Amino acid sequence: MALVKSKSGPAAASMEPVGGDVASLLLSLSSDDARARRNAARELADHPQAAMALCDRLEHERGPSVRAVLFTSLIRLQSPDVAGRLAMHLRSDDAQLRNGAIEALQEMPDAIAPHLSDLLNDDDSDVRIFAVNILGALRFEEAPRLLTEVLRKESHINVCAAAVDALAEVGGMEAIEALEELRARFADDAFIVFAVDTAIRRIRAD
Amino acid sequence: MNALFRPSKENFSMTVEEYAKFIEFFYRKTGIQFQENKRYYVERRIVERMEKTKSESFRDYFNLVRFQMDGQELQLLINAMTVNETYFFREDYQFQALIKGMLPSLVRGRDKRHALKIWSMPCSSGEEPYSIAIHILEFWDQADLWDIEILASDIDSKILAEARQGRYGARSVQRLPAHLLSRYFAPIGDGLYQIRDELRDSIDFTLVNIVDKLQTGRYRDMDVIFCRNLLIYFDDVARREAAEMMYEALRPGGFVCLGHSESMSRMTSLFVPRKFGDTIVYQKPSSAE
Amino acid sequence: MSDAPNSIQSKRVLVIDDGITMRLFYRTILNAADFEVEEATNGVEGFEKVVGNSYDLLIVDINMPKMDGYTMLRSIRREPGIGDVPAVTISTEAAESDSRKAFESGANFYLVKPVPPDTLTEVARLMTGMTK
Repeated sequence: MALVKSKSGPAAASMEPVGGDVASLLLSLSSDDARARRNAARELADHPQAAMALCDRLEHERGPSVRAVLFTSLIRLQSPDVAGRLAMHLRSDDAQLRNGAIEALQEMPDAIAPHLSDLLNDDDSDVRIFAVNILGALRFEEAPRLLTEVLRKESHINVCAAAVDALAEVGGMEAIEALEELRARFADDAFIVFAVDTAIRRIRAD
Repeated sequence: MNALFRPSKENFSMTVEEYAKFIEFFYRKTGIQFQENKRYYVERRIVERMEKTKSESFRDYFNLVRFQMDGQELQLLINAMTVNETYFFREDYQFQALIKGMLPSLVRGRDKRHALKIWSMPCSSGEEPYSIAIHILEFWDQADLWDIEILASDIDSKILAEARQGRYGARSVQRLPAHLLSRYFAPIGDGLYQIRDELRDSIDFTLVNIVDKLQTGRYRDMDVIFCRNLLIYFDDVARREAAEMMYEALRPGGFVCLGHSESMSRMTSLFVPRKFGDTIVYQKPSSAE
Repeated sequence: MSDAPNSIQSKRVLVIDDGITMRLFYRTILNAADFEVEEATNGVEGFEKVVGNSYDLLIVDINMPKMDGYTMLRSIRREPGIGDVPAVTISTEAAESDSRKAFESGANFYLVKPVPPDTLTEVARLMTGMTK
């Protein structure tokens, strides 16, 4: 028969030493072997004192699969410090790194909360857009209020557009006035007018 | 909505906008997509959960699902939306894709001494790994040329014991063509069918908790992983970890098969979608480190 | 539209953008011009849909989670059988490097936000051979 059982059986297969002490795991983070780096990053999720070392590694890491594990472990070890380090990648030109950071931050409402106001007031409009994207996906009761505030204060059209988009999903009746003001402010822009009307229709449907 | 008016199975109906908003949210969270034609089904499940949570309106309930910190209600809603049923040859177009697409691609240029490894996880009461085995034996013309290992794992020791025993009711085998039923099963009375020993003994059943790194770390060099309708029960982070675990367990060029309504697109970009016949599966890049 | 001989069978467009109102906006414009529109919300999902279906045109936002528009297009261009579907990228920046990146990743045309509705319709017609 073509079907065979594994000689040793999976459970009996040789166990590689995946664990190890923190010091040797930290060393493995910069191993030449991507699997060793992934293993170390994965194991270090159980060691809160390694959070900053994982953040450091992320600055140099180029392998997409290792980056993925680093982000996952940092979500596990989330703290305001970790969120602050991740937020720095919102400025990165490397789309994969930037997107990874955005997704990770969307998983840590409490940790990113203290940074939100800085990010929403950043000089770089792209960073403000990413902050709005994060806010829209966050499990965070304050999100609708903060997004409404963006509509009132923000001058950059693309940041406003991102906020309208987020409010279409999480907004409540309290956002409608600010949305209508925004529509008046950008009455010449076909998309903003359309987006505001869509958002209001969705909110009213609630 | 006034206080005397409580939602109930009889009078609850969502507006078009509410439905659109809900299915989009649910898709974003679970990767499960409901079309307009599933509206009745979706509404019934929601109204059940609204009753259980004593929600006054859809809006109240939706806010609970969206903003509850521990995500517990979302999980309960997912459970309600995904009542699972398992039977032989369930979603068999994926087994066809295994025979016609994945296996031929995997053996191209491969050394014959290298066994093919297929992992069914979770295997539940065994219908899936046995269905894989039957498909390979019946429909793959190269089956005799290769050593093929089928591993089947589940977290539930009781269900795993049932899988090992291999005894099934009529409902479970109803999709099997009669000649395959008689070839691989023996009727044992009371409407039950016993899977034949040769087949039963060719599958490795193991207890494994997919979220336990130490346990899953032992599963290496897999060519195909069937992980259907499991990840929908996980939260975002656990789902990422599961995808990364499968990446680790696969050989470069190996495949992951998810349930028909599931997608990797909300989890990870580690895998490349590939189309085989009518199904999309996910491949670990051949160049993966 | 009535004089366009090849519009009997409407063309299928896949809009790939993470913004829900943006997708609806493009959908409304393209529907009005008789295009059939489907949506994807990130690069991975867009790739999945392109692999699983056949489209006459892709409208691709550049900044998206999971997989950005450039990466998605490069992956699609490598895939036999689907690699030649026309694609228009839409980015927020008018920087020259963006147009170069768009063409390098396999875009046939690129637009910069905000995109006026008429422009979108015209480009979509041009790219799908529905020129008047």
